[in-house]
Amino acid sequence: MIRIFASILAVLLIGALAPATAAPVDGGHARVELIAERSSVQPGETIYAALKMDLDPNWHVYWRNAGDAGLPPELIYRDTSTVPGGAIGDFVWPVPHLLPVVEGEIMDYGYSEQVILPFPLMIPANASGTVQLDVVADYLICEDICVPETADVSLTLTVGQPVPDTMNGEMIAQWIAKVPLAFVGDVRVDASGTPWKLSLRGEPGLSRDSGIRFFPFAHEISHPAPQPVTFGSDGATLSLTQAGQTPLEGNLDGVLVIEQADGTRFGYEISAEQGPVFENTAGLAAIRSGKGGAGGTGLLTLAFFALIGGLILNLMPCVLPVLSIKAMGMVSAAASGHANELRSHGIWYTVGVLVSFAALAGAIVGVRAATGSATLGFQLQNGPTVAILALIMFLIGLWLMGLFELGTSIQNTGSTLASRNGAAGAFFTGVLAAVVGAPCVGPFLGAALGAVLSQPAAAVFIVFLAMGFGLALPFLLLSFVPGLQRVLPKPGKWMETLKQFFAFPMFLTAAWLLSVLGALSGHSAVAWTVAGATAITFAIWLARRGGVPARAVAAAVLVVGFAYPALRASAPAAAEGTSSAYAAKYETEAWSPERVAELTAQGRPVFVDFTATWCATCQLNKLSTLKSAAVQDAFADANVAFLVADFTRKDPVIAEELKRRERAGVPMYLWYPAGASEPEILPEILSKDLVIGLLGSS
Amino acid sequence: MFSRRNFSLAAGMAAAVALTAGAMIASTANASPLVAPGEPAPAFIGLDSEGQSVALADFAGKTVVLEWTNDGCPFVQKHYAAPPSNMQSLQADAATDDVVWLSVISSAPGKQGHVSGTQANALTASRDATPAHVILDPSGDIGRLYGAKTTPHMFVIKPDGMLAYEGAIDSKPSARVSDIDTATNYVRAALTSLAADEPVEVASSKPYGCSVKYE
Repeated sequence: MIRIFASILAVLLIGALAPATAAPVDGGHARVELIAERSSVQPGETIYAALKMDLDPNWHVYWRNAGDAGLPPELIYRDTSTVPGGAIGDFVWPVPHLLPVVEGEIMDYGYSEQVILPFPLMIPANASGTVQLDVVADYLICEDICVPETADVSLTLTVGQPVPDTMNGEMIAQWIAKVPLAFVGDVRVDASGTPWKLSLRGEPGLSRDSGIRFFPFAHEISHPAPQPVTFGSDGATLSLTQAGQTPLEGNLDGVLVIEQADGTRFGYEISAEQGPVFENTAGLAAIRSGKGGAGGTGLLTLAFFALIGGLILNLMPCVLPVLSIKAMGMVSAAASGHANELRSHGIWYTVGVLVSFAALAGAIVGVRAATGSATLGFQLQNGPTVAILALIMFLIGLWLMGLFELGTSIQNTGSTLASRNGAAGAFFTGVLAAVVGAPCVGPFLGAALGAVLSQPAAAVFIVFLAMGFGLALPFLLLSFVPGLQRVLPKPGKWMETLKQFFAFPMFLTAAWLLSVLGALSGHSAVAWTVAGATAITFAIWLARRGGVPARAVAAAVLVVGFAYPALRASAPAAAEGTSSAYAAKYETEAWSPERVAELTAQGRPVFVDFTATWCATCQLNKLSTLKSAAVQDAFADANVAFLVADFTRKDPVIAEELKRRERAGVPMYLWYPAGASEPEILPEILSKDLVIGLLGSS
Repeated sequence: MFSRRNFSLAAGMAAAVALTAGAMIASTANASPLVAPGEPAPAFIGLDSEGQSVALADFAGKTVVLEWTNDGCPFVQKHYAAPPSNMQSLQADAATDDVVWLSVISSAPGKQGHVSGTQANALTASRDATPAHVILDPSGDIGRLYGAKTTPHMFVIKPDGMLAYEGAIDSKPSARVSDIDTATNYVRAALTSLAADEPVEVASSKPYGCSVKYE
């Protein structure tokens, strides 16, 4: 009898000794328990225990820095414990995930599904028998709404020979492996400008196909803002948006999370001192998932396309009038016996063009360094630039009309074309050709340049110089043709008439730029620009009347005529940007990535038109194709959703999409056949057959 | 080598290229209203729970407190819990001192905290709250204008229209009522400083609470 009793008692005792933890406690939306890597511990040693939380689907808890809204979990010591409160160390936090709450506005950091938060536990030196840790786990758990929950949990460990708890020990080890490591390389943050630049160097894990994100420990940066990253041969640089206006004091601390192409994530803890960006850590775009980047195209191929583009630029209405002047200059030079100078003039002209295109490339690299990305056509998103370009076109029109003369005067064929003056004149004609060509470059050459804008600076320069060379090539070749003087027509009155005729395309270009200005800065800016044009004309008229005081006044009026409209144009238009040129006749929606996802989930085909009022090709495509009855009817029959992304003003989301698709600027047309998640990128010049043909094949 | 004409042409060309390039680089600036202590508080017009139009400009010359709220949020419930009725006592003290208290609800329709005017008035009555107005902002425009991220998120505006305080209601971010007594109430401190014509010590703090339920 007693034996049976004893054995029952023994079984009960053994059963009571075995578990090191109690069963999980249901806090409401999570099952919470304390676990430890050992079931039996020695006095005086420190082991890892952990708070294990299994969350309901779609609910999440927060990281040590919750982000914009939220609170991290904490353990509140209860004094029924047999270990002192000081025995519990802080959590070591595994790498968190992003929890977007409101896209672009509210961002949190935390965990979902399951999280194990390890913490060191110091066993007292005088412990014996068992040690017990009782705590209240106090945590905020959220889905759409938030609920603060508490769970009384406890951990009981026997004191004796160390016995590992295999299952829990393995789990804790797995989660400790997710804790950020110390960063091996160097890190600095340049918080002197906007945006802040976090520069990383010397860490072997950084490659161009990794995603990198910085999770701060505090709130110095905006949590929802994107963090564009560019790479260099030595590392990478992230652009961080400051939160508010307070300058950064001391170091920027946080965790860098790197996500590799195969999905693995790991983190580095960093403390970035303030200082300039490291060399060779910026400029190259990331290569993400299969796009393969522009490396495949090859710089040579790109440069070749740019050369062809430059050749075509010769025919653009912006550039053609100026080049006609060049041609007529050659005619007069040939006629006046300076034919042997033609070659040197050709070379000087080419140099002028190349220098100007190098300056344009420099401006683009500069904008990219300052803002992290660049698109062509950005010059036409800035009111004052458009106003000044319009006035320059107008001024050139006046010159072509003959209102005033400049060095390369046609009339005085003999005297002014002395060789040196002629060379200088050729140089400046080259610069002029590049200046008037600049507004035309983006709209007409977008495809050729799309890939190059995110390449290293050297590639940008090479491609732009190739384009410039293409622009200058016809004249360069022409000037080297032997016996040219025999082929060119004789100078005569026709030259003057032709020159005056070309004033009209220039005035039309000015008119187009005014319409762009109207969309950007409002009709009062347009009025002021016209007033500025009047002032300029007055200045020229005044200067021609002769006399030094008149000329001085004229110079002053000229400067005011340029500067004041530019100032007025810097105020943005009061009216909200209307979706350019589509009007209520055709059903169009504003584009956003979310809307595209919604529509493709519904199985509707989607056509996206990336356009701007200042983009001539876009208007051309609208007129010839997109607004035509045939295409509109076909779209309506196929239930195609027509989305418009209006890039008339700067828009970072649209710029990001253009960059993703490797386009330099607008136009860009994306076609999503019914339900497809990745679009087909259509050519820049559309035709009705092409667009209607898309519907047949989907 | 350079005749005067050529020189002026050269200067003109250089100016044109430089101007264009410079404008391109300078075009990175963008302007948006800055909401920070020391800056003017953005003007707004909204509809209150009685259907009346309420504008910030209506209260020029008075101290104004903006309280972003959502009655379902545990952090708001902490401050409205009775006892100690933290928010209600702040509102009552404000009313005594002629401070205009505006509660703003920026929850989108269908989201936690979104209420009709009648429901809002019922809530106010049941909680013994005494805001001057409860502004209904279901589109979230006023919330976004101020950059309201959490409920509660508090703004104190001086009589001259400048923002004096922006951020959390007090110094202990938690949902526990027991933390109210031991926390520093930043709103009360700001109002006291303004009444005594002294500078506000803590002009800005990290707000805590549930995220505002925008669309």
